[in-house]
Amino acid sequence: MLVDFGLIERARSGDDSAFSQVVQAYRKRILGTIARLIGRPEDVEDVGQEVFLRLYYSLEQLRTAEVFEPWLYRLTVNAAYDYLRRQRRRRESRMSDLSEQQVMMADAAAGGKVNEEERRRGKVREKVQALLGKVSDEDRILLTLKEVEGLSLKELEKIYGVNENALKVRLFRARQRVLKAHEAEGT
Amino acid sequence: MDRMPEGSRMDDKLDALWAEYRAACPDPEASANFMPVLWTKIERRRTETTSVFRHMAQAWVMAALALTLIIAVLLPRLHKPPIYSATTYVEVLDDAHSNDALDLLAGGDAQ
Repeated sequence: MLVDFGLIERARSGDDSAFSQVVQAYRKRILGTIARLIGRPEDVEDVGQEVFLRLYYSLEQLRTAEVFEPWLYRLTVNAAYDYLRRQRRRRESRMSDLSEQQVMMADAAAGGKVNEEERRRGKVREKVQALLGKVSDEDRILLTLKEVEGLSLKELEKIYGVNENALKVRLFRARQRVLKAHEAEGT
Repeated sequence: MDRMPEGSRMDDKLDALWAEYRAACPDPEASANFMPVLWTKIERRRTETTSVFRHMAQAWVMAALALTLIIAVLLPRLHKPPIYSATTYVEVLDDAHSNDALDLLAGGDAQ
């Protein structure tokens, strides 16, 4: 826990300054998770604000402060899922829909300097995003939380509200689908 | 030499890719206007919710007024005189058969 239970209790009872402190404690972690879930740096803050907005209006439904973190992760997953679903719906070609690599090339062509390390990172991000783009949003989110965020099965169990065995099956299948896509890419 | 199965090698490659991805995506810093924009959104949602409730309340008041008006107009028209009579049973019988006695008398004379 990044904050003590008392602060969460105060935020839950309507103390706005306590809520601000909770947001400030968790926002970096949540923004990082969102960045890796959605793969679009330009929309990370917007989705992050949506998460904390939902948190503000749902805090009173929280049973106890002990379950705050899984609750916050569940809100994050839901907001990321809603975002990805919206993105799938509108697939017009516009600058923000270009791949990250293409944007970087465009930046470089426009005179911006991209160093070697950043270029390599960009390639990794692009590769993983392309891979995750080939599976469903559900698989993408579950795999990212497990493999990239490093959440344990126990933590995922609390977030998803399903038992460990069901999660293992879902994870196994999701991983198989990503592996299949990975193999198809010939990497 | 120990030969790794193809599936296992792909698994390892994928695991390495996840780790690289994690390193390539560090937690971003929030911009300076993250909190002000968040509070603006919270306030906007609060106003929208209040306004929705206000609209609902107004709609209910209007519906209640309309219903009252309709009842006020229709009720007198639906109001019918009571089916019961103020007169007694004997009086009603008497009214209905007032000529019977005369008819009997008239019949008796003819015989």
